[in-house]
Amino acid sequence: MNERILLVDDEEDLLEILSDFLGEKRYVVRCAHNGYEALEMLKDAAFHLVLSDINMPGMKGFELINEVARLYPSIKTALITAYDVRDYLQMARTYNIGNIIAKTAPFNFDEVALLIHNILTEEVFGLERYIQGEVISHSIKTSNEIEGVIDRIVEFMPEHRQKRKFRQALGEIIVNAVYYGAKNERGDRKSEWDFDVTLAPDEEVLVTWGKDDEKAGVAVRDQKGRLTKQQVLFWLERNSTKGGDGLSIGLFDEHGKGLYITRETIDRFIVNVKRQASTEVVMLMYREGLYDGFRPLWIHEF
Amino acid sequence: MAVATLLFVGIPEPLFAKRAHELGYAVLSVPDVNAIGSVDAPYDLMLIHGNLIRDSIDSIIERLYFLNNNVPIAVCIDAHERLDAQLSHAFREGTLDVLYYNELPSDLIFARIDKLFVFGLLDKNLRSLQENIREKETLRRELSIRSQLVDQERELNAHIIDSITSGMVILDMSGAILRINEAARRLLNFALSEYTGITYRSIFSKEMVVLIDRLFRAMQSKDLGEIHKVRLNETYLQVSGFGMLDSQQTSRGMILFIQDITEQENTAVQLYRTEKLATVGTMLSGIAHELRNPLSIISARVQRALGRKEWDREWMSKTLDSVEKQTQRCSSIVNNLLDFTRHSATALGYHKIGEVLDETLTYVEYQNIFDTISIIKEYGEGLEVFGDRSRFVQIFLNIITNAADAMAGRGSLTLSTAPYGQQYVLAQITDTGPGIPPEIQNRIFDPFFTTKDPGKGTGLGLAIVHKIVQESGGEVWLKSKSGSTAFFIKLPSTRERKA
Repeated sequence: MNERILLVDDEEDLLEILSDFLGEKRYVVRCAHNGYEALEMLKDAAFHLVLSDINMPGMKGFELINEVARLYPSIKTALITAYDVRDYLQMARTYNIGNIIAKTAPFNFDEVALLIHNILTEEVFGLERYIQGEVISHSIKTSNEIEGVIDRIVEFMPEHRQKRKFRQALGEIIVNAVYYGAKNERGDRKSEWDFDVTLAPDEEVLVTWGKDDEKAGVAVRDQKGRLTKQQVLFWLERNSTKGGDGLSIGLFDEHGKGLYITRETIDRFIVNVKRQASTEVVMLMYREGLYDGFRPLWIHEF
Repeated sequence: MAVATLLFVGIPEPLFAKRAHELGYAVLSVPDVNAIGSVDAPYDLMLIHGNLIRDSIDSIIERLYFLNNNVPIAVCIDAHERLDAQLSHAFREGTLDVLYYNELPSDLIFARIDKLFVFGLLDKNLRSLQENIREKETLRRELSIRSQLVDQERELNAHIIDSITSGMVILDMSGAILRINEAARRLLNFALSEYTGITYRSIFSKEMVVLIDRLFRAMQSKDLGEIHKVRLNETYLQVSGFGMLDSQQTSRGMILFIQDITEQENTAVQLYRTEKLATVGTMLSGIAHELRNPLSIISARVQRALGRKEWDREWMSKTLDSVEKQTQRCSSIVNNLLDFTRHSATALGYHKIGEVLDETLTYVEYQNIFDTISIIKEYGEGLEVFGDRSRFVQIFLNIITNAADAMAGRGSLTLSTAPYGQQYVLAQITDTGPGIPPEIQNRIFDPFFTTKDPGKGTGLGLAIVHKIVQESGGEVWLKSKSGSTAFFIKLPSTRERKA
């Protein structure tokens, strides 16, 4: 602990609350009210993380992060906003930003703390990090186990109006993990995929699920680490960008929709990638109505 | 009795001329036929010696009459000479008269000359009378042809005028109706078939009279360009006036063109409403975004307070102050929306123009297109405008959104305000976009004109800006070149200026 965090926001109240809160978490926190001030402070002191608001007068958050990445490539960065994160997907891809925290109401302190912890430590894998209670795991070895696992998870999940969509999203993610992640099939040839796939003896797709007071969650992990942050951002952006006809320009893409639908349906859609080692997708569903509103962007790649 | 002038052609008897002279005749004399043409003075009777016309008499006579302008001709011969066949034929026909030299001594020849002279006069009168009659006849025929043509033309004009589907009314300078076509009768409910001398003032509806009065006044100041709209019951008419000039460029009256634009007007009204809704939509979305900030702060403050084991007074009062401040922020955001949706009559007032611009920015700034646009504010100190705040927001919202779109999210947007004379404030919104091509600059405020892709814009944004600015008693114009477009919005700073 004791990592140094630089908070940048034009909202004095938010600086106060977050520095107070993060101070309690034993981080060393400094505050800047705008991008220029932040850059000045970075000259004089070392920081591990710069956490900046997006919409500030003068220099915008994306510009600041871009500048920080250029001047101090080792400093980790994240953005925070009260606005709709979807509106920033294009910028996120352009500036290769994986983490945008949503200022929700009610304010989600635990999530902010977890996200900052994840960024700083790169200890990101495992549903235990996201769920307080006990978790159940199943290691998928062949494709014909997929349906059974999905059934078990859906039965386990609390009632939720999004349950049907959740099932669909879950299916997309597990199928992708088995075929695309583990077997490295080409996504644009889904119709040619062999329905009956058995993974190599040392291969598995690990599915974990569990719930606590606030939420239920599922994590799906492969052992390849092929997915990249840029790919995820590309697909999310394509599917959230509307063309002239008002439809998303990614509507007819062969793949990428699964990620987008999952992010839209599931309260928290988290992608963790350790390159060439592991890809994990974590899906969290909050108790209904708990943190309604905008969803953070939560992608770790290292 | 007038005295005759005689022309002697080749008469060999010298006594003849002498005696004629004595008797009071004026005498001109030439030696032969060829010399006739050189006689300038008028004469009443030509006497020609018989020998000169003996050969080929017909052609000579014709030539003589041509030369002497139809003056009667008498051929003088000796009595013993026999009239040859040709001569006697001409004599019987009355083409020629014959005089005998042997009647000279007794002056009898002069009695005949007098007679010929009188007959000649009579004949001349008769001829001129006939000519007169012929001329009159020609004239009459020509007149009748012309009047037929005029009738045809008039009929054609009437057909043309009546076939025009636009209403057309022609007035003279006194306002009397010269002509009203079928469409105009229908549009204006005009039933009179005979309207000579009736002025528009006594027969048209009050709204039309007011409008035409205005057009006549405008015509005097040569400022007829505007198109006017007038509403008669459920019908919207578009009226334009043209001065009718004669060839000396003097005003002879006015031509009115009247068009039924009810359908367009109703569609436009609906679309304007839709556009207002769209603006409300933009604002709503902006407001929803804007509310998240204070709400998340309130929530965070409260959670922090609830999680605390001991509440010391200072910390608590800081927290509650913050919650109070953020709550007020929420309600002012909500109030802005309420102000906007409320109707204009109640919202008229003085507004700091800088604040209105800032408020407008809060509705759009969250959009990611604004992330990389730098906004420069150059507000004049303490400038106020009078009018409906929500409509001012609508003006600026449209122009700022267009500017951001034009720059595609790259560049700078400058908002500046300055006094404009004593009674106006000028707001200027300048972007660093590609500029508006000159050929479309004058169409840019037209309804439905858009340069955006299908589905991206209604083409009403700037039309609405224009409408609101006008209704607010201001003006809007633009200057654009490659790399810069500036919209100028002149708004009244006093109640008096607001039309």
